[in-house]
Formats: sequence, C-alpha cells, structure tokens
Amino acid sequence: MILLPTLCLLFLTVAAVENESFSEDVALRTLPDGRVATTFTFNTILEKEAPRDPRTLFDDQDESQHYTLFPLSLGQVLREYAVTELHLTLNAGKWDYDKWGYPSEPDVGSGASLWTWMADGAPNSIDARWSGLRNALAGLFCASLGTLDEQRTTSPVIPFAPEGSLPDWGIPHRLRHASLASEHVCTENLTPFLKLLPCKGLSGIASLLNPHRLFDADWHGMGIHVLWDPAVGVQVRMTFQTVTNPLRAGNIRKEDWSFRSLFDRRIERVCPVASSSQVSVGLPSRGMYNLKPEPHHITDNMGHYDLTKDFEPMDVSIKWKNAFEYLLEPITPHPMPISFRRMLHGNSQDRGQLVVTLDNHLDNAIDILYLETMPWMVQFYLHTMTVEHNGSVDNTLLSNLSYIPPVPHAQPATFQVIVTLPAQAHIKLSIDVTKAFLRYTEHPPDAQRGWDLPPAVFMPLDASPLDAKNETLTTYPRGKRIYSSPMLVDLATPDFSMPYNVIIFSCSLVAFLFGTIFNLLTRKWVVLKLDGEKEKEE
Amino acid sequence: MQTPSSSAVAVGLVASRLLLATATSATDYLIHDHQLSSPLTSFRNLQEGIYLFNHGINPYSGGVFRHSPLYLSLFATVLPSSKTFASILWTFCDVVGAWALVKIWHARQNVSSTPRDGLIAASYLLNPYLVLPSLALSTSSLENTLTLLSVMFAAQGRASAALLLMAVQFHLSLSTLILIPPLLMLLISTPASSLALPKPFTGSTNRLPALIIEFTAYALGLTAASTLVCNGFSWVPQTWGATLTLPDLTPNPGLWWYFFTEMFDHFRDFFLMVFSVHLLIYVAPVCVKFQYDPLFATFVLAGVLGIFKAYPTLSDPGLFISMISLFPEIYPHLRHPLVTALLHLHAALLLPLFHQLWLMQGTGNANFFYASTLVFACGNGAALIDCVRAGLRLAIGKEVEGMVVIQE
Repeated sequence: MILLPTLCLLFLTVAAVENESFSEDVALRTLPDGRVATTFTFNTILEKEAPRDPRTLFDDQDESQHYTLFPLSLGQVLREYAVTELHLTLNAGKWDYDKWGYPSEPDVGSGASLWTWMADGAPNSIDARWSGLRNALAGLFCASLGTLDEQRTTSPVIPFAPEGSLPDWGIPHRLRHASLASEHVCTENLTPFLKLLPCKGLSGIASLLNPHRLFDADWHGMGIHVLWDPAVGVQVRMTFQTVTNPLRAGNIRKEDWSFRSLFDRRIERVCPVASSSQVSVGLPSRGMYNLKPEPHHITDNMGHYDLTKDFEPMDVSIKWKNAFEYLLEPITPHPMPISFRRMLHGNSQDRGQLVVTLDNHLDNAIDILYLETMPWMVQFYLHTMTVEHNGSVDNTLLSNLSYIPPVPHAQPATFQVIVTLPAQAHIKLSIDVTKAFLRYTEHPPDAQRGWDLPPAVFMPLDASPLDAKNETLTTYPRGKRIYSSPMLVDLATPDFSMPYNVIIFSCSLVAFLFGTIFNLLTRKWVVLKLDGEKEKEE
Repeated sequence: MQTPSSSAVAVGLVASRLLLATATSATDYLIHDHQLSSPLTSFRNLQEGIYLFNHGINPYSGGVFRHSPLYLSLFATVLPSSKTFASILWTFCDVVGAWALVKIWHARQNVSSTPRDGLIAASYLLNPYLVLPSLALSTSSLENTLTLLSVMFAAQGRASAALLLMAVQFHLSLSTLILIPPLLMLLISTPASSLALPKPFTGSTNRLPALIIEFTAYALGLTAASTLVCNGFSWVPQTWGATLTLPDLTPNPGLWWYFFTEMFDHFRDFFLMVFSVHLLIYVAPVCVKFQYDPLFATFVLAGVLGIFKAYPTLSDPGLFISMISLFPEIYPHLRHPLVTALLHLHAALLLPLFHQLWLMQGTGNANFFYASTLVFACGNGAALIDCVRAGLRLAIGKEVEGMVVIQE
C-alpha cells in the first residue's frame, strides 16, 4: 500500500532532478589550540541555467520555476530582483586568525553581511532592487537585514570581486555591500536555513545541525552564496561553520571529539537526493590518536568518508592518547601572512583616534589592501593619517588611497588604501576621527551601549602593485579577505526624555527675546509726571 | 591715554597673542573646542577639505568639510595651511579687525584720532570671546574681521570695497545676509551718531539700485568662482545648505543644535524654516526704527546674529560685545549692565565646565550643556535688549525730577 506512492514519488524525483544536483560535505579539522573547526557545505546546482537579465524584469512572463532540489523561496527572490551573485553571511564571535588560520569560508566578519552583484540597466533602479532584496532576505532568514539601508550600503569592488562569473549582457554589473555588526545569529536563522535544503535537517549531513550545540560553539556562522558559472550553471552554496572547544566540555584534558560530543547527534540516514555526501576529517600531524571508523580514502592529510555507498549510521570520533598540551608560544610558522589589531582610542565622546597595527610575518614585503566601510557617525580626518614603521613616521608606505566621504544621515564612508608592509615589519596606522552627534530619533533603543562599527577588511595582494583608478575586476590579483573584529563606538547621547521640554524652553527664550525687542521698537516713548498727570513728549 | 602708549599697548597685546599662539600648545588644545569653532568654521575641517582637494577627492561630496570654496582655493593654493602660519595669519586678522573697529569709531566721530582709540582696540584684542576662537584658529575670527572691514569701508563711504567684502562675507557665512540692508543704508548716509536726534532717513536713495546691482555682481562673480573651483554646484548644499538644514548637530553655544537634536522628525523642516525666517524678521523693523543711525542698526543686527544664527561660535556674540565700545553715548541709559555681565560670567564658566562634564567625564548629560547655552543666550539677549532700549531712550534726554520715562 505504501510502496506504490513511494515508488511514484521516487520516479518523479528522479525525472525532475535531471538538471539539478545536490551535494553535501562536512569537513572537520583540529585546530592548533585544541578547538575543532567544522565546515558544512551544501551545494545545489541548477545546471545550464543563467541568472535573470534585469531588462526582462517587467516582462509578463518569467520562465517557470519548477525546482525540485533548488530552494524555491530563494530562487524566487533571486529572479524577482535579477540577482547575479549573492553572498549573505550571519556570524557570531570573533574568528581568531592568529590561532586558527584562514577559515574555509572567507566571510567571517561578525554580524550580518550581505553583498550582491546585480546588472544595472533594469527599468527599476539598482538601489530599488537592492532595497527589495534586503527586505525579502530579511523575511526569508528572520534577520534584521532590512536595516542594511543606504546608511550602511557601500560598493568596494576590489575586495568584493565576484566569485563566479558575470554574464556578458552588455550592461554593467554593480556591487552592493552592507554589513551590520550588531546582528545576533541564533536558531531563528538556522530554521529557515535548513528549510532551504532538499532533505531539511532530517537526514544526511544536515541532520548534524543541532541548534543546541551549534549556537553553543565558540564561533559559528552561516552563509548563503549564490553564484553563476557558465560551465556549471547557477550554484547555491550554503555553509555553516563552527569552532567548538572539546577541552571545554570534558574534564579529560584531551581534545577528543565525536559527532556525538560535538553535535549530540550522529548521521542516521543519508539524504537520498544527494549526488555526493562526504565527511572529511583533517588528520592531525602531531600526537597519537585513534580515528574511528577508518576513512574510506585519504588525500592530503584528510580522511574521507563517502556516505553514499554502504551506509550505516555514522559517528566519526577521534581519541587522543595523551592529554592536550596548551600552546605557550605563538605558532611557527605563523598561520597567517599578517596579524592586525584595530582600536579606537580616546575617552572623549566627540573625537578619537582609530589605530590599526599590522604585523608582517613574511620574509618579503607584502601589499595589503585595507578597507573601512565606516558609518557616517565616525568621520575620518584623513589629513591626520600617519603610518609609523618601527617607531618612525613613514607615510610613503600608503598608496592608492580612495575615499568616498560619508554623508551625514545618509551614506557611509568607503575608505580604501594599500599599505606596503616591509618584511617582518610592525606598522601602526592612525587616523583622527570625529564622532557625530545624532538626532534623538536616530539612536537605537539602548543608546548608551554604543554603536557597533562594521569590521575592517584586509586583503593581501599579490606582488604586482595596483592601479586603483584602473579597476579591471577580472585581472585583479587578490588574496583572501581577512576581517577584523567589529568595534564599539561610544557616541554622545542627548536626553531622550525631554524633547518637549527642549522645544518649550528654546521657543520660550526665542519668543521672549523677539517679543521684548519688538516691544521696544514699536511702542511709543512717553514722559509721565509722577503725580499721575500724563504728558506726552515724543 | 596718550597715542604712543596706546600703540605700545597694542604692540604688547599682539606680541603676547602671537607668543601664546605659537610658543604654547594652546592652539592644539583649543582647536577641538566646540564653543570656539563650529563645523562650519573649524580649522581641522578646513585642513581636511584641503587634504581631500589635493588628493583629487571632491571635498563637497560629503563628510566634514563645510567651508566656502573661497577658503578652499585660498588655502589650497596661495596660503600654506600649517598651524604656525595660520596662527600668524589669525593674529594679523585680529589686529586688522581691531584697527577697523578704531577706524569705524573715527568715522563715527569724524575725527582722525581720539583718546579712546586704545580702549576700543583693546575691547577687540582683549575680548576673551574673540581671543579664544582666534587661538583655536576658528575661521569665524576671519569672518569677524571681514565684517568689520566692510562696515569700516561703508562708514568711510567707500562703496565698492565695502560691497566686495560684504559679498565675500556673505559667501563665507550665509546668515551675514541680514547685515546687508543696514550696510547699504550706511553707505548712502552718514555714520555719525544721531541717536540723540531721531530724524527721517536722509540718505540719497537713488544710489541704492546701483549699489544693489554692484553687490549682486560681486556675489555672482564669487559664486561663479566657487563653482569653477569645485567643478559644479556641489558646494552649495554643503556650505549654504548646512546653515539652512543643520545636518551637523555638533554642540555649540547657540540655540539651534539641541533644539534640532530633540526635534520630532515630522516637525524638523517646519522649525528649520521658522528658525531661518526668524533671523530675517529683525531686519526691516530695526532698519526702519534706526533709520537715522544705520551704524547702530548694523550693531543691533550683529547682536541678533550672535544669538540666533545657526552654527554660532563665541566670536559671534564677541563681535557684538566689542562693538558696544563704538557707542559710548548709550552707556548712561543702560538699565541692567551688571545683570548682563553676571549672566555672561555665569555662562562663560558653565559652558566649558558642562561641556567637559558631558563629553569628557561622562558625569553630566546633554541637558547641562544645553542649560548653559540657554543662560548664554539670556546673557546675549539681555545685552541686546539693553542696548536697543538705551539707543531709543537716548532721544528722550535726561530724566527730570518728578517725571518718569516709560514706553506706552
């Protein structure tokens, strides 16, 4: 009785899946400080499809969207706003580059971050589509992406070059980028994320995504990446990264972990529509450990398990022989080419100084692109920008400055400069800033907490020096984006309780002075006899 | 006071001013102060604009730069923008301002020197409301000098010079527009004091159209020059527009900033209009009432500007206070000079204190500083009202035993 409908369903699925494919993958690796980094990747590919040309936006008929694996709700949003490439990340915590190295997915800036490439030339403006897209995604992912408005939107094309390809429609593509450092990521964002997967969180690797454990991690972040590759089609890559600390959980002083200990679950079933379903475990190069079960095959220090063949419920675990030895010294060689710190100095609520220190760990000079997308509340005094190299001022280390000044109440600043770091150099870049005074309606409800400033982005550039004026995207030699942690800025607050009082006081004073002066000017002067008899003189 | 000794005093004052500006770090400390320089007059913002301009970025595309393109072209090309040079320039401008004030006094008295010259110069050079902004390199000091020079040329009857400087001043600070009618009246009549003998306006009004056309020509010429400097009209909303729409709510000793910080969004435009139009309301009545003494009308309107303009600094009321020295005839009729002085003392102590408490220490809140700006406005208002009253009362003459002078 049940068999027939199931067979029908299976048949239908197989028939429709022809030009769609889904693959899933989870990679776990032990980090040098004993934590475990997990990266879930879910790839859905719409083969031989192309993004929508925005010039067809107002046409009556769009092509039908009969998706089986591809997430329909996301696909509708992408076609409604003719988005060519989209990257949405929601992260919580600070990625510690100095200990953890580069993340598998580069966009690890705290809070929400959204950037898209859209073709310009539609009947409706790109900003209208960007606004619609933000609100649609806000609804889809239960995140306050709607507040990523014009006051946070920038377009720094160099560090945010498209990951995929841009269709050659003969119309230019534009970047829109916005980030909201104060966004909190939690289970209400994970639920819609899981709903976009063909097997939801019921089977396959996605069944490990247990919110109780994920949001307990030291660092966690999810990402939706939509891109187009002419050879493949439209690709949706959904990622979830966590950094968990097994040493925190147990009292055994060992960095042992298993699916059970990390996620409180194991993989019970495979996702039937996944064309590939793979678990990869980084094989540590130090110490003695026991990895169970045995990997199906090993490449480049990674053990791989293929879930699609001979599946039985799976719980990968690593057990170490000896207790974990905490790192007492920095890792050598350093996992990153550079280290950095970004601080806002000054105790005053009206001005401060932004200080960025950069250390080059390489034995050769390196060019770093430094990008700030600063909300207008913090305004730079670029003429005070100085660079100190080993204690002496050397402003020649800066080049290719590009700056779009902020517009109060409207637009953030985009500040981009290339810093040349000599070999093994320690560099300190400082800029005086002034903090704006906001209208009382512009302050957030908890105004005294301050404002979260979005993370800065550093990007090591390959050897050839750039010409920022000649921004040809495809030929750009670029490294990976490195995100600083967000900053909190303390802005002066007005008194929120007394707008009426201020209006009344100020208006009274103005009215009093005005009235008195007009009285003086208009009334006639008279001389009075003190005994009461009046005599006019003037 | 003898003339040689007064010039010695002036030299001493100037030298000590220069020493204070160049040898001490007073400038570095004061340059940030919100009471001494507003976003429209701050030297740091000017330097920022020059930096952006020199790096090929349009300084008017946003950000902190709200100075006139005239400043930009002057400091980006002709004058160096180093602080030491600026200190010398600012001191020089103060001296010129003091000299202009003395010359206005001479024109009013129609003499070439008086024993009060030293006193008048000192009232400008020693006025703390003027010294401190000048040490902070606020461009409002330069604007005061321009205003005084323009009044001086008007008082001396040199129409073209007066109108040109007024047009420049109008470009640097939009609200100075309200000084133009009394200045035109001054140009076609006499600066001599006739407060005691009110009479209908005696100037030759048929010269007026020519003067207005000349002023308009200068203003248009400067607008064209500004537009050329920055390749378009992007400077207009950033400079003049800022005066009218108040995009930057940095605290200052005036009445606008906190009012529009606390303003409900849907009333903002209405009240911006009210505050802007309110400044214009004074022009006609003051000019009509003091038609017999346009210099006094200029003085009264300078007082109005000091209280009510957008983005004032201490140097705006400072100019009014120093100009009181030009009108000694009203002193006997001032009703409450002591109250006014105490209000000013009160405000002068409270303003920096509460500013510090709010923004640096974090122990006071914005209301403290707002309250002290209200006291300051009361002090300026009291001075203005008293001067207007004394200027009118002068005409009645001395009070006789058994009689009292009042307004009906």
